[in-house]
Amino acid sequence: MIKLVNLTKKYGKHTAISNIHLTVNAGEIFGFIGPNGAGKTTTIQIMAGLLLPDTGNVLLSDISMNDDPVQAKKLVGYIPDRPFIYEKLTGIEYMRFIADFYQVSTNVFFKRSEQLLNQFGLINYQNALIESYSHGMKQRLIMASALLHDPPIIIVDEPMVGLDPAAIKLVRDIFMEFSHKGTTIFMSTHTLSLAEQICHRVGIIQNGRLTATGTISELKQSAARANDLEDIFFQLTRSEKAES
Amino acid sequence: MKNIQALLTPRIMAMFRKGMSGKKLMGMTFFAGIGSIIWALVFYGSYRVLMYFKQVESIGDFLTFKLLSMILLTLFSLLIFSAILTALSKLFLSHDLGLVHALPVKSETIFLSRWIESTFDSSWMMILYTAPAFIALGIVNNAGLLYYSSLLISLLLISIIAGGLSSLIIMPIVLILPATRIRSIFVFLGLILFIGIYVSFRIMQPERFVNPEGFASIVLYLRSISTPSTPMIPSTWVYETLKTALDGPTTAPFFNIAIMLSFALALICLNVIVARLIYFKAYSKTQTAQSRLHSGDNQFLYRLLSHIPGPARAIMIKDIKTFFRDQTQWSQLFLIAALIVIYLYNFSVLPFDKSPMKAYYIENLFSFLNIALAAFVMTAIGARFVFPSISHEGHAFWIIQSGPVSMRMYLWIKWLEYFLPLIVLSELLIVTTNILLHVNPFMKNLSVMTMFCITPGIVAMGIGLGGAYPDFKSENPAQAVTSFGGLMYMFCSSAFFGSVILLETGPVYLFFKVHFQSHLLTIVDWIWITFSLTLGLFICILAVILPIRFGEKQLTIKMQKLRHRDLEKEPDNISEKK
Repeated sequence: MIKLVNLTKKYGKHTAISNIHLTVNAGEIFGFIGPNGAGKTTTIQIMAGLLLPDTGNVLLSDISMNDDPVQAKKLVGYIPDRPFIYEKLTGIEYMRFIADFYQVSTNVFFKRSEQLLNQFGLINYQNALIESYSHGMKQRLIMASALLHDPPIIIVDEPMVGLDPAAIKLVRDIFMEFSHKGTTIFMSTHTLSLAEQICHRVGIIQNGRLTATGTISELKQSAARANDLEDIFFQLTRSEKAES
Repeated sequence: MKNIQALLTPRIMAMFRKGMSGKKLMGMTFFAGIGSIIWALVFYGSYRVLMYFKQVESIGDFLTFKLLSMILLTLFSLLIFSAILTALSKLFLSHDLGLVHALPVKSETIFLSRWIESTFDSSWMMILYTAPAFIALGIVNNAGLLYYSSLLISLLLISIIAGGLSSLIIMPIVLILPATRIRSIFVFLGLILFIGIYVSFRIMQPERFVNPEGFASIVLYLRSISTPSTPMIPSTWVYETLKTALDGPTTAPFFNIAIMLSFALALICLNVIVARLIYFKAYSKTQTAQSRLHSGDNQFLYRLLSHIPGPARAIMIKDIKTFFRDQTQWSQLFLIAALIVIYLYNFSVLPFDKSPMKAYYIENLFSFLNIALAAFVMTAIGARFVFPSISHEGHAFWIIQSGPVSMRMYLWIKWLEYFLPLIVLSELLIVTTNILLHVNPFMKNLSVMTMFCITPGIVAMGIGLGGAYPDFKSENPAQAVTSFGGLMYMFCSSAFFGSVILLETGPVYLFFKVHFQSHLLTIVDWIWITFSLTLGLFICILAVILPIRFGEKQLTIKMQKLRHRDLEKEPDNISEKK
C-alpha cells in the first residue's frame, strides 16, 4: 500500500507539487496523469527516494521514506522514464548486479532472471553489452530488473516510452498479472488509453495539485459529456487552466 | 561556405554563451593561473637550456638545432596522433552526428565543418604549450620579426597538415574497422609509445648532461646520429623555416612556408574529394557496427567475493567489470605503472657513495622523506582512480539512489573497494624502496606503519571529495582530476599526509640523536614523542571519518539540485513554463 501524505516540493519560487494527499491500496494499479510539467516526475522521484519533499511524507507499506529510506526502498521496483544504466555491463550482469544489490539469493536469481529475460524478449541478448542495446531493449531490461526481487510496490514513470507495440502489450499484461497477485502499481503515463485499460483508479495532476481522483466511471460522472478518459482529462485540465 | 559557417555556429555560440557566474569566473581564473604558471615554467626551462647550449663553444648551435628538430618531430607526431583521436570522435562518434547528417547538406560540407573543429581542438593546446620553447629560442638568438611571424604561420600550417593527414588516414580505415575499435587501438598504441619513450628517457639518465664525464659521451652520441632529416617530412619544413628565419632578413623562410601552404591546401582538397566518396559510407558503417558479446559464464569474481554482503559485492563487481571494459580507464593503469617503475628506478640509481655525508645517515634520511614521496604517489593514483569513482556512475546514479543502500553505506563500500588495492600498493612501494635504500629496522617499521595509517585517509578523501564534487555528465570522469574538486583533493590530501609526516619529524630527529650522538631520552623527549605520534594517529582517524561524512552530506544536497535542474531542463517542462 502507498500513502502520500501532504507532499509539497518547491524549486526556488516555483511550486512543483503542492499538498498531494493520496492512498493507493494493495493490488491496485493507479494511473497518474497530467500535462507536461504538472509534477508527475517530481512526485514519482520523491516516492522512489530520489528527491526529498519539503513537507509531507511517503509511506510504503507503512514504512516512511523519510524515516527509514533503506527499508522503504527494499519494497520498491522503480522504473524511470529514461533508461540510463551501466553501459559496460551485459544484460545478465546488470540483472546480477540488481539481484546482489537487493540481496536476492543466487538460486532465486538464476531462476527469476531466466524467466524475466525470456518474458521481456532479451534472453538472446543477455551476453551483449548494454551499450549495444536499443532504447526499447534498455527499457525492457530495467523493467525486468525492477521485478527481479519481486517487489510488493512498483513505481513507474512513463512505462511505454520507446517500446514497440508487442512490448507495450507485454508490459500491460505483466502489470495486470502482478496486480492480481497483490502488487501495488503506481504509474505515471501520457498514454490515456493504457490508463483506461488497466488502471483501477486514476489521479489527475495539474500545476502541482491533484485535481481529481477516482475510478474511470467516477470521473466520467463528475465530468459532463465525457465518453472516455481523454474527454475527462481535457475537461479537467482546461477548467484548471482557465482557473489559474 | 555558408553551410560550413552555419554548422560551426552552434559550437561558436556555445563558447560565448556559457553563463559566467562568479563561481565559474573564479574557477576559470584559477585554471588560467595554473596554465600561465605551466607556460612560464616551460619558457623558463627552455630558456635556461638554450642559454646553456649557447655558451658551449663549437657545438652549442649544433645542440640547439638538434633539439629544435627533435621538438618539431615530436610535436608533429603528437599532432597527428591527437588529430586521429579527435577526428574519430568528431567525424564518426559524436552524439549529434545523427541530427547533422539528417540536414539537407552535402556530406563533404559536414566533413569540412567537423574537420575544422577537430583540427582546432586537437592542436591548440599543444601549440600553446610548445610555443614558449620556440619563443625562448628566438630570444636567445636575438631573432627579429621575421622569425616570430614565420613561427606563427608555420605552427598554424603544421596543425592543418597534421589534421589533413589524420583524416585521410582514418576515413578508409573506418570503412574496414569500427571507429570505436580504432580509437581503442590508437589509444593503446599511443600509450605504449609514450610509456616506452618516458621509461627509456629516464633509463638513459639525462642527469649525465650536467656531469662533464658523461656529457662528452652524449655529444659523441648526438654527433653519430646527426644525419640530416628527410626533406619529405613537414616538421623538416618548419625546422628549415625557423632556422633560416633566425639568421635575419632573408627570403629563405618563404620557400619552406610556400611548400607548407601548398601542401596544406592540397591536403584539404584531397580530403574533400575523399570525403565526397567515402565519408558518409564510413559514418554509416560506424552506426551499424556489430555489438560485442561477453561470456556470461564468468563466475570467478562472484565466487571470489561470495562472502561479502550483497550490495558491496554488487558495486565492487560492477566497478571492476566496468573498469576493465572501458579503455579510457584501464589505459591509465599503464601510466601509473610507468610512474611507479620510474619512481623505483630513481631509488636504485641514487649516488649515495658520492655524498659527503655518511651513507647510513643519508639513506635513513631519504627513507623518511620517501614516506612523503610515496604518499604523494598514492595521492596521484587516488586523483586518477578514487576521486572520479563516484562520477563514473554517470547518469545511472539513480540506481544507487533508489536502491536499498544509504548514501553513507555506498561511500563506505566505495572506500573499501579502493582501500584494499591501494594499501597493498602503498606497502609494496614503501617496502621495496626501503630495501633499495638499505634502511635500519626502526625506519622500516616507521615508514610501513605511517603508510598504513595514511593510506585510509588518502582513499577516504578521494571518495569524500569525489562525492562532494561529482560530475555525472562527463564522458570521461577520469579527467575530473583537473577540476576544482580534483585540485581540492590533491591539496587536502597533501596537507593531510604533510602534517602527519611533520609531526613525525620530532620523534625521528630524537631517534637519530640517540643513534648517532648517544643521546639519552629524557621525560620531555618521551612526552614529545607520545604527543606527536598520538596527534598524528588522531589526524589519520579524522581524515577517514570526516571526508566521508562531508561527501555524504554534499552528495545528497548536490543530487537534489541536479534532479531539480534536470526536471527544469526537460523539454516538456520548458515549453510549459513558456
